Amino acid sequence: MSTVNQTPATQVLKDQIREFIMENLAHAKGITSFTDDESLMESGVIDSLGIFRLVSFMEEDLRVRVSDEEINAETLKSVNSIEQLVLSKRK
Amino acid sequence: MAYILQQLLTKSAERYPEKMAVWARGRSVTYRELDQRSNQLAHLLRQRGIKKGDRVGLYFPKCVESVISMLAVVKAGAVYVPLDPQAPADRVGYIIGNCGIRALITKEEKRRGLDENTLAALEFCVMTEEAAKSSNGTKLIPWSMLSEYPAERPPQVVLTETDLAYILYTSGSTGRPKGVMLSHQNALTFVEWCAATFEITSEDRLSNHAPLHFDLSVFDVYNAIEAGATVYLVTEDLALFPSRLAEFIETKGITVWYSVPSALTLLLLHADLNAEKLARLRLILFAGEVFPMKYLRQLADLLPHVELQNLYGPTETNVCTYYEVERERLSSLEKLPIGIACENTEVFAVNDQDEIVTQAGGTGELYVRGPAVTYGYWADPEKTAKMVVPNRFQPNFEEKIYRTGDLVQLAEDGNYYFLGRRDSMIKSRGYRIELGEIESALLSHEAVKEAVAIAIPDDIVSNRIVAVIAAHDGASVKPSELQHHCASRIPKYMIPELIEFRDSLPKTSTGKVDRVQLTQESIRAASQPAAEVVSQ
Repeated sequence: MSTVNQTPATQVLKDQIREFIMENLAHAKGITSFTDDESLMESGVIDSLGIFRLVSFMEEDLRVRVSDEEINAETLKSVNSIEQLVLSKRK
Repeated sequence: MAYILQQLLTKSAERYPEKMAVWARGRSVTYRELDQRSNQLAHLLRQRGIKKGDRVGLYFPKCVESVISMLAVVKAGAVYVPLDPQAPADRVGYIIGNCGIRALITKEEKRRGLDENTLAALEFCVMTEEAAKSSNGTKLIPWSMLSEYPAERPPQVVLTETDLAYILYTSGSTGRPKGVMLSHQNALTFVEWCAATFEITSEDRLSNHAPLHFDLSVFDVYNAIEAGATVYLVTEDLALFPSRLAEFIETKGITVWYSVPSALTLLLLHADLNAEKLARLRLILFAGEVFPMKYLRQLADLLPHVELQNLYGPTETNVCTYYEVERERLSSLEKLPIGIACENTEVFAVNDQDEIVTQAGGTGELYVRGPAVTYGYWADPEKTAKMVVPNRFQPNFEEKIYRTGDLVQLAEDGNYYFLGRRDSMIKSRGYRIELGEIESALLSHEAVKEAVAIAIPDDIVSNRIVAVIAAHDGASVKPSELQHHCASRIPKYMIPELIEFRDSLPKTSTGKVDRVQLTQESIRAASQPAAEVVSQ
């Protein structure tokens, strides 16, 4: 899962995102595994309400502000794309 | 006048051959193409042995081919069964077996998920893609084969309005979904009422938000075709993102929108809806669940130019009552009425004394009478006899009426108001959910001794689902394991989001599980932080 050029800080962030999705969204859909690159919409991990729980998590726990326009199929596609969105906001 | 659904298309294809009929995923077909393609597919189905009354499953994500397939199956004289592309393969396999589906129109990624017995029972599959790989057992026919069949005319089949057109599966209390049989007449009664009441014209652009196995889609597809209008299919990826969806309504110039209220609430809360951007939108219909008044008021204020209609009716009748939102009454109304009966439909409430409610304030179970009412459930005469019953209020001739199971009140203003259910069926995001079906899925896990599924009222989706479980002595199982177990049996929207474990479940004096107590406790717990609810 981890790649050589990843710093410990981003790895922690990715773990946080993965854990939130697993505990709060995937389990409730009966899904027990997903990869960092997998489309969470296609696999049914994220549904219409799940999206907004994910956004609340990003805003409250990860402390980034997400606008309505940023809530789309590209930014929220996978663990990796969510991580990218958070990192771009923190810069 | 049309008496079978495909006649709506024949008429529009003659009048508007070059007009866009269906748009989905960046592709579209004109009325001529829709008519010709469905003729070809109908010939293909007939030539492969599909006969009048045979069932053909549609099992692929929404696309232009969805509408071509619906029309092709009825043109072949057969009955289409839309299968939820998101449902677990086990449930889809059950439905295929239950109504004896002989052929599927599908996509390889969906087909290969089905189990071997199901695949073995299918005589052939028409693939919506061009390239279909050959597979052992089932014959796979690529979409490109259609070009070898006659396009100008559909096959010759004698049909009457009383023939079945489609079967829609909904949640069943005994643990398995049940198939509601709908005839051409059932569908057209509704479609023709909508066409006249909402004055749909060829200039209209209808959206299709609901999945095709959901009866809301009957309006979107067939009323667009009836009027020679265009239907824009909202695919799953678009439906999830409110701001994209709002942009879609704006850029496609949608004039008529129909969905469950929760989809509108999400648009309201998370998209920048405004009257200027949605200037072309003229009519919003909603159905499937109760629209919370506070959100409806906001929507009415935000889009003052849009007519709002609350439609009500179970799949068994499609829509049977309607209420046009009166803006001037919105601030004083505590609850939204379900309104009055549609034309060519009669509704009445029957009270505990088995009398028809005629006085304002009276309450009872709502019954529906008329040509919109289903024949019943596929291969389930017992369930049918319970719900579609002889009309005991009318002695002159034999006819059936449908018991909705919904408790209603007749009000001063002549409208009916929905009060609740007589049984344990609930709604979430407009989906009908039998709590018994969830409990069956939980009980099928070896560690589970007792299980109760509970609906927690929710502002946006109507209800969220939790479960309380007692495990067998010595057995141990985690909530996530049970949720995973459910996922192979029931759709994702039915899986309990929280599962609580207890040593035993509280009982009533008659020894039954005390649902009322458990429900009250769960609702109380749900208003506290989540960590306190889940005990493992």
